[in-house]
Amino acid sequence: MKNKIKEWLKSGQIDIFLGYKTLQGHPLPHAFGKDNLEDIDTLITGSNYYPLEKIATKLVAEKPDIKIGMITQDHSQRALNVLYIWNQLDPENIKPLKGDGCSSNLKEHADDSHREAGKSGQFKKQFGMNTHASIEEAEIFAQQERFQRWMYEFQKCIKCYGCRNICPVCFCKQCSLEHSNLIGTGSLPPEAPIYHLVRAVHMAGRCIDCGLCEEACPADIPLRLLYRKVNAIVTELFDYETGSRLDQSPFSIIGESITLKLKPIAAA
Amino acid sequence: MECKFVPSVCSYCGTGCGVIFQVLDGKLVGTLPMKTHPVNEGKLCIKGWNLHEYVNSFLRLKYPLVKTFGRFIKVRWDEALQITADRFKEIIETHGPDSVGVLVSAKITNEENYLAQKFTRAVIGTNNVDHCARL
Amino acid sequence: MTIKRINFLQELLEFMGLGGRLHLEWISSAEAQKFVQVVKEFTEKIRHLGPNPLRGFTLNNLTLDVGAAAGTAAKTACPEPKETVAQN
Repeated sequence: MKNKIKEWLKSGQIDIFLGYKTLQGHPLPHAFGKDNLEDIDTLITGSNYYPLEKIATKLVAEKPDIKIGMITQDHSQRALNVLYIWNQLDPENIKPLKGDGCSSNLKEHADDSHREAGKSGQFKKQFGMNTHASIEEAEIFAQQERFQRWMYEFQKCIKCYGCRNICPVCFCKQCSLEHSNLIGTGSLPPEAPIYHLVRAVHMAGRCIDCGLCEEACPADIPLRLLYRKVNAIVTELFDYETGSRLDQSPFSIIGESITLKLKPIAAA
Repeated sequence: MECKFVPSVCSYCGTGCGVIFQVLDGKLVGTLPMKTHPVNEGKLCIKGWNLHEYVNSFLRLKYPLVKTFGRFIKVRWDEALQITADRFKEIIETHGPDSVGVLVSAKITNEENYLAQKFTRAVIGTNNVDHCARL
Repeated sequence: MTIKRINFLQELLEFMGLGGRLHLEWISSAEAQKFVQVVKEFTEKIRHLGPNPLRGFTLNNLTLDVGAAAGTAAKTACPEPKETVAQN
C-alpha cells in the first residue's frame, strides 16, 4: 500500500495524500506530500477516523485543480459519493485507497463502523433515548412519551455546532443553523426541537451514517439514530440509498427535468 | 500546497481539550477535536471549534495602545510599560496596594501565570489575584 | 417537490412524537365545498390530539413530566441494572 502511494505521488497522479500518522503519541490526520517520500513509511491505518473528505473539500475550495489521494473506509466512500453528487469534489481528482479501518466486530451499533458510541447510563435509558437503540426500539414508545424522550435529549444541547462542523457532507457556505430568521441564533439552550430537526431535515439524502456527529456531541444526543431514521424515510419513500449510487438526491431541485422543460405551446 | 495538522491544546479555559489545527500554506484555517486526547475524547465546545478564528481576527490587538484624552494612541513597548508602571505606582501610593487587582488568563503559560501572581503578591503587595479559568 | 417534502416531514414528526399534525391537500379555488370539509376534518383531528406540546415547554416542566412518567416508564422501558451491564 505504501509503495502504491509513493508511486502515485512520484508519477504525479496525486499531489497530496491524506492519511494518518502518529504524532506526539496520537494518531492524527496527516497530509503526505511529494517532497518527502520517506514520510509515507510512517503512515498508519487503524481504528481512528477523522473527516478527511471534509479536509479534501476545503483543499479543493482553495485550489480547485489539486489532485488528492486519501485513505478510505466504507463510510468515506459514501461520503465521497455524496460530495461528487453535490459537485464539491471532482471524481477525476480524487484517488481513494481502501484502508483496513473496518475490522471491528462491533456491528450491533453500525453496519460498517468500528467505533463504539458512548454507553447509555440508567437515567438516559429511563428518560431519554438509548444511543444504541435501533429505529424499531425507538418507535415502541407512545407518541407522547417519544416526544418527551426526544425533548429530554435535545434540551441537553449546548449548541457547539460540533455536529455540523465535523460532518463530512456539510459544506454549505451559509448554514441555516446560523440564520437568525430560521433559528434563534443567540439563545441558549437552542430552540429545541427546531434546531435539531432543521439539521435532521438537511441530512435527508445526505447523511452517510459515519457516526462522527454523535462522537463529537458533548451532550451525547443520539444524533446517529435520528439521522438514520431520516435516511430510512428517504429510502422508504423514494427508494434512494444515500451514498451508494451517484444519482441526485430526491430533494435536489436542480436538475428536476419537469421544471426545465419547454411548454408544448412554446415549442409549437 | 502545504497542508499540515498540528496537535495543540485549547487555550480558552482550564480544561485543556486537545485540538488539531489545520494549517494551509502557513495560515490557520480550521480546528478539529482530537479524538484520542484523554481530556475531551473527540468533543469540543463552541469556543474550541472556532479557535482558529481569533488568531487571524482583524480585531486582534497587535501593539500597545495608550488612552490619552479619550483616544487610543499607538506607542512603543517600552513607553507603554513605563506609562503603566508610573500609573500603578501613583495609584498604589494614593489608594494603597489593595486598590489593584490582577486577573490572569488561560491564554498564557503556567509559568507566566506564576510570575503574574508573584508580581501581584511581592511587587504590588496585594492578594487580589485571580484566574479566568478558575472553574 | 412539495409532496415529497411533506411526506418526509410527516414521517419525521411521527418519529419525534408529533405525528398527525401536518396535512397537505390540493384544493382548487373552485372547490369551496372540499375546502370546508378538509378544514373541518383537520380541525377536529387537531382538537382531538390536544394542544401543541411545544407551547409553554420549558426545562422545568419537562423534568416534572418525566418525573411523573417515571413510574410507568421505568417498568416498561428500562431494563434491570444487571441486564444493562451485560448489554454494554
